[in-house]
Amino acid sequence: MSIPLPVFIAVPLVTAFLLPVFSSLGRKGKAVATVLANFVTVSLLVMAVASIGQFRVYEVGKWSIPLGINLVLDGLSSLLLLAISVVSAAAMLFSARYMEQYTAKAKYLCLFLLMVAGMNGVVLSGDIFNLFVFLEIASIASYALVGFGCEHEELEASFKYMVLGSIGSIFVLFAVALVYGNTGSLNMAYISKAIQGSGLNAGLSFAMALFVVGFGLKAALVPFHAWLPDAHPSAPAPISAMLSGILIKTLGIYALARVVFNVFGVSVSMGWLLVVLGLLSMVAGAFLAIGQEDFKRLLAYSSISQIGYVVLGLGLGGLIIARDGNVAWASLAILGGLFHLVNHAVYKSLLFLTSGSVQMSTGTRQLKQMGGLAEKLPFTRATCTVASASIVGIPPFSGFWSKLILVIAAVQAHFYWVAAIIVFVSLCTLIMYLKVQRYVFLGELPENLQQIKENKGSMLVAMVFLACLCGLMGLLLVPALRSNILQPAVDVLTDGISYSANVIKMSMKV
Amino acid sequence: MDKILLVPIFLPLTAGFVLLFLPNKTKSLSKALTLVISGLTLALAIRIFTVGQLDYACSVLQIDNLKLDLLLSAKPLGGFILMFAMGFGLLITLYSLRSRNETKRANVYYGAILLSIGGTAGVLLSNHLLFLLMFWEIVTVSLYLLITTGGRNSNFAATKSFAMVGVSDAALLLGTLMIWARSGTFVISDISIATTSTLPIIAFLLLMTAAITKAGALPLHTWLPTSGEYAPTSVMALLPAAIDKLLGIYLLVIIVREIFVLESAALSFILALIGSATVIIAVMIAMVQHNLKKLLSYHAISQVGYMVLGIATGTAVGIAGGVFHMLNHAIYKCCLFLCGGAVEQAAGTCELDRLGGLGKKMSITFITCLIAALSISGMPPFNGFVSKWMVYQGVIQMGTARTSGAAQLWPVWLTCAIFGSVLTLASFVKLIHSVFLSRLPEELKDVKEVSPLQTFPMVVLASLCVFFGIFYHVPLKLFIYPALNIEPGTAIFGTWDSVLATGLIIIGIGLGLLILLVGLLSRKVRTVPTWTCGETQTNEQMTIPGTHFYKTVSSMGGLKQLYTRQENGHFDLYNQAQKLGLALIKRLRRLHSGILPTYLTWVILGLLVILLIVCGIQIWWGSLIATALFLVIPLLSILKKEEKMKKLKVTFEIEGTHLADMFYLNEENLEKSILLAFDEKNPSPLFDDNLNTKVRNLEIQDIE
Repeated sequence: MSIPLPVFIAVPLVTAFLLPVFSSLGRKGKAVATVLANFVTVSLLVMAVASIGQFRVYEVGKWSIPLGINLVLDGLSSLLLLAISVVSAAAMLFSARYMEQYTAKAKYLCLFLLMVAGMNGVVLSGDIFNLFVFLEIASIASYALVGFGCEHEELEASFKYMVLGSIGSIFVLFAVALVYGNTGSLNMAYISKAIQGSGLNAGLSFAMALFVVGFGLKAALVPFHAWLPDAHPSAPAPISAMLSGILIKTLGIYALARVVFNVFGVSVSMGWLLVVLGLLSMVAGAFLAIGQEDFKRLLAYSSISQIGYVVLGLGLGGLIIARDGNVAWASLAILGGLFHLVNHAVYKSLLFLTSGSVQMSTGTRQLKQMGGLAEKLPFTRATCTVASASIVGIPPFSGFWSKLILVIAAVQAHFYWVAAIIVFVSLCTLIMYLKVQRYVFLGELPENLQQIKENKGSMLVAMVFLACLCGLMGLLLVPALRSNILQPAVDVLTDGISYSANVIKMSMKV
Repeated sequence: MDKILLVPIFLPLTAGFVLLFLPNKTKSLSKALTLVISGLTLALAIRIFTVGQLDYACSVLQIDNLKLDLLLSAKPLGGFILMFAMGFGLLITLYSLRSRNETKRANVYYGAILLSIGGTAGVLLSNHLLFLLMFWEIVTVSLYLLITTGGRNSNFAATKSFAMVGVSDAALLLGTLMIWARSGTFVISDISIATTSTLPIIAFLLLMTAAITKAGALPLHTWLPTSGEYAPTSVMALLPAAIDKLLGIYLLVIIVREIFVLESAALSFILALIGSATVIIAVMIAMVQHNLKKLLSYHAISQVGYMVLGIATGTAVGIAGGVFHMLNHAIYKCCLFLCGGAVEQAAGTCELDRLGGLGKKMSITFITCLIAALSISGMPPFNGFVSKWMVYQGVIQMGTARTSGAAQLWPVWLTCAIFGSVLTLASFVKLIHSVFLSRLPEELKDVKEVSPLQTFPMVVLASLCVFFGIFYHVPLKLFIYPALNIEPGTAIFGTWDSVLATGLIIIGIGLGLLILLVGLLSRKVRTVPTWTCGETQTNEQMTIPGTHFYKTVSSMGGLKQLYTRQENGHFDLYNQAQKLGLALIKRLRRLHSGILPTYLTWVILGLLVILLIVCGIQIWWGSLIATALFLVIPLLSILKKEEKMKKLKVTFEIEGTHLADMFYLNEENLEKSILLAFDEKNPSPLFDDNLNTKVRNLEIQDIE
């Protein structure tokens, strides 16, 4: 089934602006708005599933490229599209109950859908300036959502996030301008073609560095991570789930990978740069996470560490391609990175949702003020344990497989020290989630928490849905599923700059 | 027929996983299910062992040249260990049915027992290293879950155990992949690597770490006593005492005999050193313990030393002895922990000083515990003696056969092993005396023997101790020799006619008892209150706890400081790593000041470095500059702190004493640093660790 690509962007965008109208109709209107928003995210999920494994190009207004704007759906895009829609459907479902604590629900839903529209746009855009525009839509929506609680702490976090995020955006914009000036095109396929013809000059190299820093800021790679530990915990839980689960990956990792692999082409030094950034994020994020006393802050730092795994996988792949030209080895590393990206999207959003459930019941995020919640919040406990087991890498949960593939890929390419660091960081991850289990769910129930109850309803459904995914995601490696979902995405990156030729050929057909 | 191998692995795993998530109302269901499944897996294990050669293969995954096949095969070594492991599973399930009082986490307990059974079967049957690793991790997880069911403070013990055994999992993963990088296969029976170059040696060390950490040998052993203190005793009996030993030593035997061809003398030296050190150090610590469960845990560490030492000898008799000792250890240590659990359940405490005289009240527990204690101490004719005897022979044979590396030091290893055995006996004399023999304390008058469901496993295990001791040829011929491919008769030498010796021992004991009886009958005994310097005291107050005799050891010059440091966790790698990690984390957290301009600086510096790298400057220069920059920032922040020193006049009151002095101090954390500085200048007994709580009327005056 071929769904027109603009639908992915237009549906959430249009609905986003319709929702405030409904909410002015009073209580009933709010309920309608919530249902409508949920309907949109679920239908996006269905459409994303329906368009798995396709390669299509859509030219907006029938203007052919490079004059017009195009949307491209390839393996990598459809993988990300799927991840975005899974996480946003779960987070939206969770919000239905969770956001009753807040006022102005319609504005929340509007911003939420805007963010989804922006992310879908980033993933589908075949044009680098449009990529920037959608990136800004998603970013600005997320700045507002981080400060949604309007408390002192939230506003401060939002402000910091906005300043650093805008700097990232400006770097990207500047880089786009440089690229346009040097190649005369904004379409990624044509930029790539131009670069293949003339090679990199100083201006393009500069643009490349700016892209890395700009997208690195969005992806929260160390040392550009400083906004994340403030911003992610301050947002309402479903938004934290969206931010950590998918936003940093779409705006950061996806965009970076697309530009580095498909537009500019990887070089040895770029491969090394990504490997080093990845390792730095993994180690620093993990250490910092262990030291946290705030549940959501711990999760936020752990996101930095996990993003490191993804970048490491991509970087290793790029390095192997550029240095040895061994595509089989590289494809295993990239497979590990992308698989980890998808897994992390699921389990980290689940962890943030459970933290929201805990916070809603207990009224605190401080680990040391909780304890013994296993009896009071059985479902939250079960789902949180499943997600923790996944992120720690306990077989047969999803995280085990992606980490295993990453380690194997590193060993295969004789990067033994990288493999050792991956395993070491996994140990650190183990320690931080043991800490969560120990302080939140085990031990003695404090006096003031004797009366708490678990919040049921849509929150539970969302958490159980994601927990089931955590258990089953290992199946993505089964040949039938892998060749349709993961492998096309890996191939897009290993094929590198032949992306340009593919897209142009496809456009001719259209 | 080959598919039978799947059942003992995946049936318990599935059932256990489901049980974990069931609500607590279904407690009796989970008990019944666990009992049935553990019985069934034992039956299957026996069937698998008797049938012998079974192989099952099923392709699970293939990504390019990375093949992941589920390869299961029943080999003699894995087969007999599997049979015993499943036996322990069933016995512990039986024991638990009654021992666990109304607990809210019964489903987790039984679920985790099933997980550990399934995981163990998986480890022992896998012929593929990656699957072995996965099942290995499942056993670790089940250990964690089981310890968490222990109530108060058990969560700390569980966390520590998981973190430390997690190191074993990590080492196993890395080692496995290094083997794969070298040999290109994960199939255990296809691998044979000579330890001549660096890569195989590192791989060997990693796998060895994995094996001995699981088994509980030094230096990563400290999870064992901690969990021993807080975990339920049935858990200790099942996992650390029995199954973890079986698995750890199984892996050690596999890597020494199948995966690697040990050619490096240094490696066998390391193994022998670890073995002997474990024997002697752990038993020294065990001797001075006051807690029954902790004492048993330290012995569980000490005995691993014999197994490792036996395997380190590389001689047929040594390895056979090590493996036999593994089996014997699992039997008697499981029995000892069950006895300990029975005592704890009946008396409500595990402190040796508060126990005593339980021999008459709990006679079955007493007798089984005595048999197991004599076995662990290596007294003939019980099973511990035979296997220790074989290990000694192995060490001597190694010394006479070869002259290099570990072999040269054979007298040292032998002394450690024999001396360790003596000390074991010494500490079990204390245990038996303090728990079962000395005077019964007033509050334990109503103690009763535990239920037959609980004594049954103890009796079974104790009789196995006796049987394997007297008829040691049977298990050796049936299990050990075929498993290790050793010709019967070549392994043990000298004559040890156990049946004759047993007869003589029984006659001797009988004669002794006769003389005692005659003596008791012919003499009149009267009991009077104790008279001390004109004061009479009731005899109840005059109990002499067995632990006091051992104070001589712990207060001996030289040893005393070691003991205190050990007690404070100075030799605990977990504590040391924690300290180091926390210090590092503190530094890192201090960098994250929350000040936006600092963060902006990082971004700009990052951009600078990346520009240098991307625009063609050599990668190494880029990294060098990056490291330099990231070292400069913390240094700057530290230097800044130093400048804030001020001259202050301080007066305060502590426990009624007024004190005043002048200091140069910085402003952060003022109160504490003042007190510390004061303590440094005028050492006084008034100051101890929690200074802050005692201080009153603190006044600070800025002089400048």
